[in-house]
Amino acid sequence: MNRTNKYAPVVLERGDLLSVENPARYTGGEWGITIKQEVLDEIQRTGETKYIRYAFCFPDIYEIGMSNLAVRILYHVLNQCPDVWCERAFSPWKDMDRLMREKYIPLFSLESKTSLRDFDILGFSLQYEMCYTNVLQMLDLSGIPLRSCDRGEDDPIITAGGPVVYNIEPMTDFLDLVMIGEGEEMIVEFMAEMKKYKDSKKTGQPMTRETFLQNAAKIEGVYIPAFYDVSYQEDGTIREVKPNRPGIPAKIRKRVILDMDLAPYPTQSIVPNTKIVHDRAYLELFRGCIRGCRFCQAGFVYRPVREKSAKVLCEQGIEIEKATGYDELGMLSLSTSDYSELPGLTDRLLSAFDGHHTSLSLPSMRVDSFSLELTEKVSETRKSGLTFAPEAGTQRLRDVINKGITEEDIMTSLALAFEGGWSSVKLYFMLGLPTETLEDVIGIADLVRKIEKLYFEVGRKTGQRMRRLEMTVSTSMFIPKPFTPFQWERQNTMDEFVQKQQILRDRLRSKNIKYIWHDLDTSVWEVVIARGDRRLGPVLLEGYLAGHIFDAWDDCFSLGKWMTVLEKHGLKSDFYAIRARTPEEVFPWDHIDCGVRKDFLLRERERAYAEQTTPSCREHCEGCGAAGFGGGVCYESK
Amino acid sequence: MNQSEREKAMTLLAHQPAFIYRLRFSRSGSLSFIGHLDLMRTFERSLRRAGFPLLHSQGYNPRPMLVFALPLGVGISTTDDYVDVSLAEARDIMEVMAGLQNALPDGLRILDGWPVPETGGSIMAMVTAARYRLQAQQIFPALQRLFLRSEVTVEKRSKGQLRMLDIRPLMLALEHGETENENEAIVLVCAGSHENLRPDLLLQALTAFEDFPLQEAANCGVERSGLYAGTYPDLKCFKEMI
Ligand code: SF4
Repeated sequence: MNRTNKYAPVVLERGDLLSVENPARYTGGEWGITIKQEVLDEIQRTGETKYIRYAFCFPDIYEIGMSNLAVRILYHVLNQCPDVWCERAFSPWKDMDRLMREKYIPLFSLESKTSLRDFDILGFSLQYEMCYTNVLQMLDLSGIPLRSCDRGEDDPIITAGGPVVYNIEPMTDFLDLVMIGEGEEMIVEFMAEMKKYKDSKKTGQPMTRETFLQNAAKIEGVYIPAFYDVSYQEDGTIREVKPNRPGIPAKIRKRVILDMDLAPYPTQSIVPNTKIVHDRAYLELFRGCIRGCRFCQAGFVYRPVREKSAKVLCEQGIEIEKATGYDELGMLSLSTSDYSELPGLTDRLLSAFDGHHTSLSLPSMRVDSFSLELTEKVSETRKSGLTFAPEAGTQRLRDVINKGITEEDIMTSLALAFEGGWSSVKLYFMLGLPTETLEDVIGIADLVRKIEKLYFEVGRKTGQRMRRLEMTVSTSMFIPKPFTPFQWERQNTMDEFVQKQQILRDRLRSKNIKYIWHDLDTSVWEVVIARGDRRLGPVLLEGYLAGHIFDAWDDCFSLGKWMTVLEKHGLKSDFYAIRARTPEEVFPWDHIDCGVRKDFLLRERERAYAEQTTPSCREHCEGCGAAGFGGGVCYESK
Repeated sequence: MNQSEREKAMTLLAHQPAFIYRLRFSRSGSLSFIGHLDLMRTFERSLRRAGFPLLHSQGYNPRPMLVFALPLGVGISTTDDYVDVSLAEARDIMEVMAGLQNALPDGLRILDGWPVPETGGSIMAMVTAARYRLQAQQIFPALQRLFLRSEVTVEKRSKGQLRMLDIRPLMLALEHGETENENEAIVLVCAGSHENLRPDLLLQALTAFEDFPLQEAANCGVERSGLYAGTYPDLKCFKEMI
């Protein structure tokens, strides 16, 4: 197709921008963005460019997408590639979506306002399952065929990566290529293949899409869904997943970055002009988690733990603060307290920021005397809230899920905190965990009540004047996720969940306690999608065409409508959600290899039933398989 | 900020004079579509990137001391706006201007700057009038007709409530742009913390009284081109108050 207006920037009228919520979502122009003027010049001169035009796509609104660390890292990595210009695009909110459809305005990149249709690649960052239909929205608004099989030689290549790709099967109809695991190195190798593909188009013998994808499939971690056939048994479970081309691997192994100190990291990252959800600079302390909580997917798929050294983090922290002007530096990891050089790192950063009015934020911290002291030192607004995630109400169930936190731990640290003047506590629990009984649910209420009593006891003992106690108790629904020891488990039914919530509502009535519970409906759909197979592709497509977007937003989501679509396609949510699996069942994600072996997960599952805990990777290696990557915590001396 | 830092900051404020620099700036392009709070944050971060010793406000949540002459609405560009920046140390004005310019995102430009005395009074309280350049098809004749009226009462939404307001007394003068064409108009209106006529209200009046097309009003280019102190007609331009 030879379109004369290729690469012409999309122009939005002032009135249009002023008619939507927060127009700064669509205008770009932030500090720290990359504009490759040479590309624009080349296009002006010749109408084409030899550069790879990469649109980094985030299927949610700007304020959420820009808060994501992966977006910042990969934007940087791609723009470091001399042959690539990476720009950004986000899901337009519903008001803008409507306006763009009415006025035939195509979706465009924020940097050069180029229509996404004119890019060589659209790379989607998929952070949660509920954003899937927004991928379709973005493709549709760009005028790109939604299904991979409908795309032609001139269409952009549509790729995806991110934490949900460990089971990406429900989305495979729409994706040409998926990157499994950490992207920093893989994406550079992928760009090299892409460059050959793009260059070939100018020669007399252009490479076909098929050949290009076959070449890309040779890169470790790259998964081409169309190169695998899935067959099903009569009962609806999977018979097998098999490559349908010669030379295609039976299993796709995830990629990891072994040396975090050498991993590229943007210190000059983009600073948005408008307030975003997490409006701060970040440091990434480490990847993975040593703990192995049995419900937590991140704890398994990101193995093994790999830390960045405090020296490198300190240098990066100082540089980022200076280069971005942010007055808050967030420390990111799955469990901040487990970072081995935490005291040294925070000390050094705090002294470097002396007098700058810069604060550190340390989420995911265990509460103990060290962290309480640290919290006082690091944050501008002190004594905000303390957060605990016991996840379960009884020790028995905490052992089942391998949450290494005891009631004594909680009570000792809270006594310490209350003495220090803290008066606000947040507690997170999960309902519907495997083996859970009503006794365990009541245990949640009992624990909360004990904490409430403790607060006033501390007041009596110390004679302090205590402020009003504010306790927030929040319960979410257990979702059995792929690649966890609980991947074989069933989810609770709606009725079971409702009953459990009711028990807690009755027992947590107090002026000091606020009880909030997650939306049940979203959890049901989330588990269907998280454990779903390729048969969900047409369901997602139909749901999208019926207008279901922004499912991650509770007020946009409607379970009833999705159930109707699902049933129309002869599928049942119970099959995905409520059904327990046998150890022999072939999972839709079995051809993905995250490094952790299935037999290890099964062993962990048996231990869960025996109420036995498993030590952390630092205490003892349980031989999960992740040592096969050849680095990280597995090779630290124990 | 911890206790000792806070004390340090308070001592700073108590014993050390503030060095205030008044900066004249313009904004255009994508930066015109951010709100006032976002603009403040953008200036704060840019000043931090430039590495200036910013003075901070006291209290629970200390912020750099920046005072803008008059908030800019979303969608309005400017060629003549002012912000007062307080530093803990004296700096050369050229250094302040150049340093900040290098740290600002595209679309914000520092045009001029000079030190002002600490006792000079708040810049916000000084503003009394603003000049806007409006660009839309046939906007000049429409405004001409509106200026002929003795009363222009429009619905104004303030703090979530609708009330009726006669904006005619706030409309001070109408002029042609440089090229004397019908599609451009310069209006002078009351502005500041006392009485303020926002340009969108003026455009709303045009659609209500002069049959000005809604579409034209929505897409009308709005640029602030002057800020004044004093009493009309004896207005004093800020840029001449060095
Ligand atoms: S191989 Fe051992 S140390 Fe490495 S991640 Fe697995 S359990 Fe942990």
